[in-house]
Amino acid sequence: MVTILISSALLLYLVASGVLARSFAGGGDAGPRTGTMVAALGVALHGAALAAFTALHNELPLVGLAPSLATLGFLIGVFLLVTTITNARPVGLVLVPVMAVLAGLALVLGLQPTGEDLAFRGVWFAFHVLAAFIGYAGLTVAFAAGLLYLLQFRELKGKRLGRIFRFFPALPTLDLLGRWSVAIGFATLTLALLLGWGWTVRFQQTLAPGNPQVIWGVITWFAFAAMLGARAWGTAGRERRAALASVIGFTVVVLVYVVLRLSVVAGSVFL
Amino acid sequence: MSLAIVGISHRTAPLEVRERFVVDAEQSAQAMRRLASTGCGEAVLLSTCNRTELYMRVAEDHPDAADLAARFLSDHARMAEHDADRYLYTLHDEAAVEHLFRVVASLDSLVIGEAQIQGQVKTAYERATTTDGGFSVGPVLARMFESALRVGGRVRHETRLGTGAASIPSAAMELARKIFGNLKGRRALVLGAGEMSELTVECLRSEGVQQVLVSNRTAARAGEVAARLGATAVPFERMAATLGDVDIVVSATAAPHPVITDAVIAQARVAERKRPLLILDIALPRDVEPEVGAQPNVFLYDIDDLSQVVEGTLERRRSEVSIAEGIIRDGVRDFWQWYRGRNVVPTIRDLRGWAEQVRDAETRRALQSLQHLSAKDQGQVEALTRQLLAKVLHGPTTRLREAAADGRDAHVLEVARYLFGLDDKARNGAGSATERRHDTT
Repeated sequence: MVTILISSALLLYLVASGVLARSFAGGGDAGPRTGTMVAALGVALHGAALAAFTALHNELPLVGLAPSLATLGFLIGVFLLVTTITNARPVGLVLVPVMAVLAGLALVLGLQPTGEDLAFRGVWFAFHVLAAFIGYAGLTVAFAAGLLYLLQFRELKGKRLGRIFRFFPALPTLDLLGRWSVAIGFATLTLALLLGWGWTVRFQQTLAPGNPQVIWGVITWFAFAAMLGARAWGTAGRERRAALASVIGFTVVVLVYVVLRLSVVAGSVFL
Repeated sequence: MSLAIVGISHRTAPLEVRERFVVDAEQSAQAMRRLASTGCGEAVLLSTCNRTELYMRVAEDHPDAADLAARFLSDHARMAEHDADRYLYTLHDEAAVEHLFRVVASLDSLVIGEAQIQGQVKTAYERATTTDGGFSVGPVLARMFESALRVGGRVRHETRLGTGAASIPSAAMELARKIFGNLKGRRALVLGAGEMSELTVECLRSEGVQQVLVSNRTAARAGEVAARLGATAVPFERMAATLGDVDIVVSATAAPHPVITDAVIAQARVAERKRPLLILDIALPRDVEPEVGAQPNVFLYDIDDLSQVVEGTLERRRSEVSIAEGIIRDGVRDFWQWYRGRNVVPTIRDLRGWAEQVRDAETRRALQSLQHLSAKDQGQVEALTRQLLAKVLHGPTTRLREAAADGRDAHVLEVARYLFGLDDKARNGAGSATERRHDTT
């Protein structure tokens, strides 16, 4: 059941990606709306898959790589649906393929519970991981908004005024989306770190500075801080700096994850 | 009755000729009354800056009605007949219908896909329906215009023919929206007080720009334009200081040298501002030094850049023409089937009337010899004959409508009327259908 639902969601994400890409290539105006609607259907099925997983295994899909990727993809989808409020649907051009990749990886890796006996199961843990995932979803949306902002800015400044100019949203729309995504992501990731440290300090009397998850979380937190700093600093071009910081920040966080993942000791529960 | 169009448009005449043919709203009512006396059964007059066209339904016994309409237009333009004939065109029947559909869908416009024409046609049609109680629009032109407007709406919704900026001012506004999002609450400075500047001020106002400032070397001229368009005049000497406070600058002066230079930008302390500055240089020769565009928060566009946006839009619109033409073809076909189908309506009515009379008479006679049947059974006999008649007539009725749609109606109608003796019956007073043979919607 879970596999069928997530496969259906993946199929819809691929269709939505195709609709958006075709619309971008052909300069279509209805594409973003249609693509977002198809993706929304995918997000609904994705949510149903996660609910089915929880019901089936009596466990939230927050532990293990495949369930985590599936949850992260779903949260990015929820962010994407919220972007329709700001008229920034074309960000789906970046976000929907990311959602498709995450859902596809979850399927390939096998959406099964890890079976590991985690000492820290419970509401505390659920809040901690969920808050962290919302933070990473916010980071991804900020990256998408920032990337589109930089491309649109380049198009406008370079007077090319072609496909990107027509298809991408206005600069303030992308900036607003990036700003809110960073704000939400920063707040939730901070909460996630505090909850995690609260638990380790209380039960293990340590801040666990060597834990790969903590390292990754702290680096992500600094990436968010840099994005906020880029906006606060200086006068002219603050929006562009913030967009650039979002793209660099996201790239750094992904690279750090890959490095940590490759260097982590066997048997660790790091994602 | 047949359909006809007599008109003049940007395709056949230059502006100086077209403007002589323009008929305003007041003249339009008088024109309708005059046309009624020329044999026009129905007429709608469409007059815009790009076309003046008379859409008519004329009686068969008035074959010269289109000529009379052409004379009416040439008289109105105070132009000799043979001169006017060089520019006027006449279209009949299906070609006339297709022309109207193309006009409404904006395929016949000077700028393909422009939005105004649909409203202009609607206004012309509504004006014709209200002229002296709407005598000028009957069921055929009403259906033709309503179908055309519906098809025009479909073209706008189902194609990208109406999207994008297709003029220099609209391209400028599109650029501004991409940089600032909503233009409400923004401030703009317009340099120059010529025709282009006035047009730009109007565009900015319609986009909701909060304050528009107008500056010109001749202060009086700036004051005049500002007063007329609800803007504020600013002395030209204060231009640099004002530049620092506005979001959009539109420069359209006739100056032979750049008005906005690097020095002016430095004086306006543009580099220190947090908001971007959009400069639209629509003057020839250019008013703004190209180096100004190198400032990080300055977006500078000249007339060539704006033309690039317009050309991109027109190219996309041209690629949609074939889709629009498909929609128009469907619309014309539907209308034409309905229009031709009207020719068979009197014959179908006569046929059904005659058959019903036969059925009624025969059923009455039969029921008189079936008095022993209960009222319920008699009702069933009555119902049976009705069903039988409906089934028998369904085939011929359908064939007649098909023949009309295929354009074979004249011959088929003659045969049908002969076979069923409909004309004899009409002559003998067996049915009054022939007298009722009038327009039916």
